[in-house]
Amino acid sequence: MAGTKEIRRRIRSITNTKKITKAMELVSASKMRKAVNNVLATRSYANLAWRVVLDLAGKTESQYHPLLEKRPLKKIGIILISSNRGLCGGFNGQIAAKVVREIKKYEKENIAVELITLGKRGRDIARKSNANLIADFIKQDLTVSITQISALSHLILENFINGTYDSILLAYTDFISSITQKPVLKKLLPLETELDENLGVIGRQQKIDNRKQTTDDNLFEYIFEPTTDEVLEKLLPRLIEMQIYQAVLESDASEHSARMMAMRNASDAAVDMIDDLTLAFNQARQAGITREIAEIAGGKAALE
Amino acid sequence: MSKINFKIVTPERVVYEAEIDQVTLPTSSGEITVLPNHIPLVSLLAAGELLIKIGDKIIPMAVAGGFVQVGKNQVVILADSADKIEEIDEKRAEEAKKRAEELLKTKQVDSTEFAALAGQIERELAKLKVVRKHRKTTLRPMPKVEE
Repeated sequence: MAGTKEIRRRIRSITNTKKITKAMELVSASKMRKAVNNVLATRSYANLAWRVVLDLAGKTESQYHPLLEKRPLKKIGIILISSNRGLCGGFNGQIAAKVVREIKKYEKENIAVELITLGKRGRDIARKSNANLIADFIKQDLTVSITQISALSHLILENFINGTYDSILLAYTDFISSITQKPVLKKLLPLETELDENLGVIGRQQKIDNRKQTTDDNLFEYIFEPTTDEVLEKLLPRLIEMQIYQAVLESDASEHSARMMAMRNASDAAVDMIDDLTLAFNQARQAGITREIAEIAGGKAALE
Repeated sequence: MSKINFKIVTPERVVYEAEIDQVTLPTSSGEITVLPNHIPLVSLLAAGELLIKIGDKIIPMAVAGGFVQVGKNQVVILADSADKIEEIDEKRAEEAKKRAEELLKTKQVDSTEFAALAGQIERELAKLKVVRKHRKTTLRPMPKVEE
């Protein structure tokens, strides 16, 4: 009966694992709900803000504000948004792989790339792949306020304005649905008038009527009140920060969805495994009983 | 007459979106009214009262902080906060204002906190102002709005 004992132990261990993954699934599900609510709430604001910024950037001379400047690419900063914890499927791996590919591409063109990370996992992967990591910010499990990323956005804006970086890319995972998330690299700075198609499903729909508008919209220039400087000075940093914030929220929602799916798959796999093992256990038990009966019958036959 | 495609959003939600006839809003350099075919304009939104007019209907709102973009028959407002009058709880606004004022007086605050608190006071004040003004007008028979 050694076989059945072994199998029983495995069943018990897998049952315990299942309990853990199930619990983690439930925790992630509730975190995901919160994160998804956050991301959906700000999405229309962020999309609209980005449209306003790009619209302004296209129609305003770059001399009015340092954030509108376009320089030849010498050095690029990439913000990598990942999660603090693992066990969320390919979430961190995918975005990090995308960033590493991008870095290689730029290095071939002799453009220096520096990495700024938000989230421990991304930092660890960046370190392993020998990327040029210059700053790491601590990420909250659930980002709920724009003030939580203000240090990061300050650093970014400052370094772009003083010319350290000629371009800023934002690497995050776009939340499309709780099943689908897409790693995305978005060009944050310099501001380019071509519209990005990556801020979620809603963003994509808006893009269509956006195109239409921009064609006849491009014919005018804006007037600024009270002054161009004052408006741009307030508007651009604020709305660019909003984009970073939105990207963090998208990543948050994606992370928790990815973890929930990973944990659900793990729980399902555990159930399958338990079923298989139970079957094997019963067969082994049955075989044992049959063998014992055969032995008894055999013993009795020998006595007669 | 052409209408204005109007949209006001806050970081939390889309507050209002419609085809409207005119909108009056507070900017940092004074109150402006946007009619159809207004010249493209970008301005800073101040705290105060925002009035939307659709036909004979007037929708008042309390807004505070943000940006206004006026395009071709299109107005986009990115507000820090915006509340329709029926959503404002006068008592809550009053209390929130008092709390913020109290904090400002008693606590040692750094500059960012100070800005946040001052912003909040401004916001609540705008709410109170708008809600009080429009509550009175609903008690009496509505006066005819002249243009």
